[in-house]
Amino acid sequence: MKRRRSATLETTLSYALLVVLAIAVLFPFYWMIVTSFKNETQMRSIVSMFWPRPFAIENYQLLLAKTEFASWYGNSVFVAVSSTLVATGVGTVGAYALARLKFFGRGFMASATLITYLVPPSILFIPLYKQMQGLGMANSLAGLIAAYPSFTVPFVTWLLMGYFESIPEELEEAAMIDGATRFGAFYRIVLPLSAPGVLAAGLYAFTQAWNEFLYALVFITDGRLRTLPVGLASFITGDVYGWGYLMSGAVLTTLPVIAAYIYLQKYMVEGLTAGSVKG
Amino acid sequence: MAVPAAELRSKVVASRGGAAGLRHVLGPDYRMGYIFVAPIALCVLSLVAYPFCYAIYLSMTHKLVGMPPIFVGFENYIRLTWDGFFQRAVVNSFVFTFGSVIFKLGLGVLMALVLTSNIRWRSFWTGVLLIPWVAPTVVSALNFLWMFDGSLGVLNYLLVRVFRILPQGVGWLSEPGTAMASVVAVNVWRGFPFFGISFLAGMKAIPAELYEAAAVDGASKLQRFRHVTLPGIKNIMIIVVLLSTIWTFNDFQIVYILTKGGPGGTTMVMPVFTYETAFGAQRLGEAIAVALYLLPALAVTIMVLARYMRKGRRR
Repeated sequence: MKRRRSATLETTLSYALLVVLAIAVLFPFYWMIVTSFKNETQMRSIVSMFWPRPFAIENYQLLLAKTEFASWYGNSVFVAVSSTLVATGVGTVGAYALARLKFFGRGFMASATLITYLVPPSILFIPLYKQMQGLGMANSLAGLIAAYPSFTVPFVTWLLMGYFESIPEELEEAAMIDGATRFGAFYRIVLPLSAPGVLAAGLYAFTQAWNEFLYALVFITDGRLRTLPVGLASFITGDVYGWGYLMSGAVLTTLPVIAAYIYLQKYMVEGLTAGSVKG
Repeated sequence: MAVPAAELRSKVVASRGGAAGLRHVLGPDYRMGYIFVAPIALCVLSLVAYPFCYAIYLSMTHKLVGMPPIFVGFENYIRLTWDGFFQRAVVNSFVFTFGSVIFKLGLGVLMALVLTSNIRWRSFWTGVLLIPWVAPTVVSALNFLWMFDGSLGVLNYLLVRVFRILPQGVGWLSEPGTAMASVVAVNVWRGFPFFGISFLAGMKAIPAELYEAAAVDGASKLQRFRHVTLPGIKNIMIIVVLLSTIWTFNDFQIVYILTKGGPGGTTMVMPVFTYETAFGAQRLGEAIAVALYLLPALAVTIMVLARYMRKGRRR
């Protein structure tokens, strides 16, 4: 009897904490959406504070018609998709080699990849900028696509190494006894089995590239070539902030990440736990 | 397990003959291994190792934008040591990092405990609580910049008009007394779900028998947490705390967007100081010296962390 009561108390406490945490987590996004649908007068007055009445879509119209937001969106899609494809391809084959194949230098490469993943961008951004300048790619999207593998590739590799290690080696051995080559065993057996892991890793790489700020801020000087994070942040350098259209831009920037996240949440949580910090 | 694999490979080697000598020296899969690893090696060398060495060289030069570098040895580092602005940035970085990590740790444990307790829609709640971790950091920082706004921000509105806790609004980011706490709060908000989800995974991996045995021995709820849960997630805790320490210490965007180091330098942390020295003052050599100043500490942290992460994998 006593135990049941304490269990109920515990559950109640859990729900209370969950609700508090959920409000703290969601409120900024709720506020972002509400703000994006308010016009200037609603913003300045204190009427309709927590729900825009009426719903104003002029911020979105202004954002798309009067700012360079649309081209920033294109830039971000182009940079994030390209660097995701590079990172996933390079990371998948590399991770397989480091997880499975026996060759001299494997342990060293695995350590080097992990250490690379841990080196922070705040150390690398100036020399990388000089490097891209030397190659004539400083003020271009190509420069960003070339630089982003510095963090996406080690990350994807490390994540997928864990994934490949969790697939039983006997499957490949059986395939090879049946006459498959080493490559065939990888391509026909391991790769299809790890599709969810590769997808999750790719999604991670995409969100990392989509959210990246420092390199994009430093490399790109031409206003039209900005990516979304830098473009959005550039709205606050003026004296008049224009919170309405800034927040509508924030909503549109968040959408692809959240959509991908909802769809792949299960894989992400699994990938995160199986890959990055298992132990 | 290793024996049949080795036998199989020796059979494959024998049947192909030819390059058996090289296979013996470089390992049975050396050809495919090197081809598969080559792109990563290229990435690591050209995008991390080379820039890193170049950074060390540049930090020992006087380099103004547009001018060739002049080698000056450790002069930049020595001058920084006695520079009051730099010293303050170091102190601020430590306050920002440890303040953030402690709260992330506490909230992370809380989140994991709540999500492992007897609740419905567990995966729904997990999904909701992970949102700050996946949302673009710039967007989150801008949201908080707007909510913290002194005159029109919703935080002051709630505290003054709705709940009537404060008599008047606070300039959260523009007053020296509250600016650091505010940027720490945003960093905690963004980072705690990573702690929570990692601890959750660790707690799920603890065998239920351990808890049952402890309960049979008469251990209280608190004792079970202390003697079963905490030891069970110790390794994950070390990994997550070290990872987060590196990330937080080098976090640029939250502080840059919220305060740019202000007001009056009270939130000037090292990454923002690096950026300002490089692209505000245009002194590249000195800027890189700022970024590399604590390299020995960073290197030690990375080595320890890498050991733990590899150990965690090998189980």
